[in-house]
Amino acid sequence: MPPPEHEICARWLELGGRVGMALLAASFAIYASGLLPPLVPAQELTRLWALSVDRYVAATGAPTGWEWARMLAKGDVLNLLGIALLASVTAAACAAIVPALWRDGRRLQAAFAMLQVIVLVIAASGAI
Amino acid sequence: MDWWLWPVVLFAVTFAMGIVAVLAGVGGGVLFVPIVGAFFPFHLDFVRAGGLLLALTGSLAAAPRLLRNGLASLRLALPLALVSSATSIAGAVVGLALPSDALQIALGLLILGIAVLMWRARQSAHPGVAHPDALGLALGMHGSYHDPALGRDVAWAVHRTPAGFAAFGIIGLIAGMFGLGAGWANVPALNLLMGAPLKLAVGTSGFLLLGGAASASWIYLERGAVLPAIVVPSILGVMLGAQVGARLLHRASPRFVRRLVLALLFVAGARALLKGLGL
Repeated sequence: MPPPEHEICARWLELGGRVGMALLAASFAIYASGLLPPLVPAQELTRLWALSVDRYVAATGAPTGWEWARMLAKGDVLNLLGIALLASVTAAACAAIVPALWRDGRRLQAAFAMLQVIVLVIAASGAI
Repeated sequence: MDWWLWPVVLFAVTFAMGIVAVLAGVGGGVLFVPIVGAFFPFHLDFVRAGGLLLALTGSLAAAPRLLRNGLASLRLALPLALVSSATSIAGAVVGLALPSDALQIALGLLILGIAVLMWRARQSAHPGVAHPDALGLALGMHGSYHDPALGRDVAWAVHRTPAGFAAFGIIGLIAGMFGLGAGWANVPALNLLMGAPLKLAVGTSGFLLLGGAASASWIYLERGAVLPAIVVPSILGVMLGAQVGARLLHRASPRFVRRLVLALLFVAGARALLKGLGL
């Protein structure tokens, strides 16, 4: 029988994965159908996606850091919401198992789970 | 070619890739980056971001089941995932700073190396750890899982834990730099180096991928390297292909699929190398 933190972690990963994928599919449908105007017109994209990311950002004004969060009215940028959610699920799952590990007296493993959350938050912070 | 044809072609190719990946027992990312990088007009920066997100979504789909049936161990994964996710951030930063040609050459060499590793790889179902090391014991890296095939619980422990940490540091760096996911390296490191039973190594690898892929994905996202027109059709293609692959699993010839994957990796690796050398 797997320990209780496995079920807690599995539940968070499952929920986050499903919501993230649904969000991604819905936002891509909005983007592909043209319901919201894209930041980078699709016809130009075929020329621009051969550039390195630095040159692409310079040519298009594509968002860096957390700028995307203020540009969600653009069809292409909207997709980044689902991506960000998928990239956040691991941190949420690790944070969720900390209390169970702590209660069970496994302080070292709780510390590793917490440190994992901190690493992911630093990666997400835009500070690097 | 109209722009919308590219996502359609990408979906078709990644759908086939998803089938082959399941049949061959490899992650989608290790096929996606070399093949799409070699044969599609996208810059490697965007392809590597796509590879990481494929690895992330594939692991998110698999990890809950592996955790529930006890084939992934959080005791084993948490300390190692911490190291690999920290180094994957460094890998992503370095990868995005390197000149494209140098990166193509390194990717070509790496893919050829992975193909050789897969070709020559040995695996050990139950390596047996006679003397678990002090660090592994102190970190609680031991336990047991139920193996339905054997009909009994299998006790496990690890050895060479410091070398394991070093290996996962390097694996994270490479995964972040090249967007390859890391299942191809996680399993041998857990199984052959640290002595974890093969089933536990495969299951735990799925969880280990999550930390590294998520950390590095944030770096690519913040630098503007995530292009939805590339990423979303690829994720959907690989995930649907993987479901078809799982249904074909009992009918496919493992030897044929393995040879197909090796051939694909050799061709894609050689092409990346030639591209980097300007040939």
